[in-house]
Amino acid sequence: MNDLITLKGVTRVYEVGTEKIHALAGVDLTIRPNEYISTMGPSGSGKSTLMNIIGCLDTPTSGTYEFEGEPVHKMDDNQLASIRNRKIGFVFQTFNLLPKLTALRNVELPLIYANVPRDERLEQAERALRRVGLIDRMNHKPNELSGGQRQRVAIARALVTNPSVILADEPTGNLDSKSGEDIMRLFDDLHEAGNTIILVTHEEYIAKHAQRTLHILDGKINEDTLNG
Amino acid sequence: MFRLFIGNVRIATEAIVANKARTLLTTLGIIIGILAVTLMGTLISGLDRSFERSMSFLGRDVLFISKHEWFGNQEWWEVRNRPDIKLDYAGKLMEYSKYVRAVAPVVRRRLEVVRKGKSVSDVMVVGTTPEYTLTSTINVENGRFITRGEERSGSRVVVIGYDVAQALFEGEDPLDKKVKMGPYSFRVIGVIEKQGKFLGLFSMDDQVIIPLGSFMRLFSRRGWMQLNVKVDSDHVSEARDEVRGIMRRLRGLHPQEKDNFAINQQDAFRKQYGMIKLAIGGTGIFITILSLVVGGIGIMNIMFVSVKERTREIGVRKAIGATRAVILQQFLLEAVFICLIGGLTGLLLAYGGSLLIDKYVFPSTMPVWLAVVSMGLSMLVGIISGLAPSFKAARLDPIEALRYE
Repeated sequence: MNDLITLKGVTRVYEVGTEKIHALAGVDLTIRPNEYISTMGPSGSGKSTLMNIIGCLDTPTSGTYEFEGEPVHKMDDNQLASIRNRKIGFVFQTFNLLPKLTALRNVELPLIYANVPRDERLEQAERALRRVGLIDRMNHKPNELSGGQRQRVAIARALVTNPSVILADEPTGNLDSKSGEDIMRLFDDLHEAGNTIILVTHEEYIAKHAQRTLHILDGKINEDTLNG
Repeated sequence: MFRLFIGNVRIATEAIVANKARTLLTTLGIIIGILAVTLMGTLISGLDRSFERSMSFLGRDVLFISKHEWFGNQEWWEVRNRPDIKLDYAGKLMEYSKYVRAVAPVVRRRLEVVRKGKSVSDVMVVGTTPEYTLTSTINVENGRFITRGEERSGSRVVVIGYDVAQALFEGEDPLDKKVKMGPYSFRVIGVIEKQGKFLGLFSMDDQVIIPLGSFMRLFSRRGWMQLNVKVDSDHVSEARDEVRGIMRRLRGLHPQEKDNFAINQQDAFRKQYGMIKLAIGGTGIFITILSLVVGGIGIMNIMFVSVKERTREIGVRKAIGATRAVILQQFLLEAVFICLIGGLTGLLLAYGGSLLIDKYVFPSTMPVWLAVVSMGLSMLVGIISGLAPSFKAARLDPIEALRYE
């Protein structure tokens, strides 16, 4: 099977004043389709930077990053936006839904940027909401939904373009344990259905949902383990 | 691309609707600016129209020779001491000039016109010759104008203006009826078609015309005569020079002496009017530019606030695939829409104002091109003032924007 994501010798250096901060210090990583990965590490370890690079929000200072064979490290701003739009679904800890739009319109948003016709957009958005079990709430605004429901809407928004990978940054961080458990079950289902999922988490029991866990430390992958 | 544009139009309108009060306050400068420019334009176009109508009474190819200039700053005693314009200049001008087509001597005075207990006071009584029909635009709608014979013999006949006819003969046919001016009675031989007011100042329908001979004999032998000279319409300026030369010869003026007569023309009014127009237009444009600049700065400010407030939203949009161009467009559209709302409001207010002017001041309508220009102008203000904030939004780093609290 072809690799989905290939990182070779990826570094990321930030310049803060005159000081250089090596957030990533040479990362090699290969991810294949339909993998279920969790990423762990203390704050400042570089895991957020790694996720930003994998999510094409940021580009490496050096090294190569290929996504489905395309060289992301050479891409310009517009190409990065396009790959984020078509290939990557983001789920954030704080949901990041647009407060003035209904659930349906929030889910529809990536399709607007993908230039999909309106009818198709609504149809796909409804399908994604049905997938996360919120079709009966599609005309509610985020502030009329519970935390768990908001995160479901966010997951629907990440799913709606049929992305190659779903990146979830501490998706249960702002939820009570019951809702968090529901969200994790949803991720398990999505993985079951063939999606590639990469999670960032602090919690061991969340990481256990994944098949593979990356431990990041000091800008490097310290440990790469398969969960039994 | 078009679908994206529609999507952005929707986003921009929603953002505006969500901040109604703020938007409305922000647009105040634009409203005033557009109100000023359109109202001023409407005023000028209305003025233009009534001015042109008035000018048509004078005729473009008619020179008016008299003792005094219409506009100018001659000392009154200098003018007062000039020799009178004489009747025989009329014949000499016809004889010596190659451009002059007709000369109508005109004398005037205000009198009361009376008929059977009814009267109209302060009527302009004009004494002239049959040539008057050639040098003016009057049209006799009922009856006829005075004839050469009546003019020579000083017959007591009169052609009356529309308003005079209405006041003295309402419903009756005035022809062959008698009216009295001073102790003398005149027979009505014609009624002039309604003409309207000259520059909104005095009515052209409030006059009566009698033969020059009768005027001179009955009312005044002297007086300030004016010669209305109709010239070849293709050579008006040559004709003016020529007529001036003939007049100087008739007056026996040495080359170094100044003219002791005046040749007036429509142009004199045009010059005066041009200055008035410039003053109105200049003031209007000044107010417009000032309020548009102030309004534009206000909108720029509110757009910066809007971008700041929605930093996180911009981050989300970028994360899920919005390009810089799309974000730029979204915020530019928002700025343009705010300005268009202001422009449209100003336009509607100006339209209401123009209806009021039309009803109570003078006939005027807002020209369509002005509405189009003012909308274009508000759009331009929107683009200019929205540019910097929109660029700021488009350039935001998605990672930092997502982290923004």
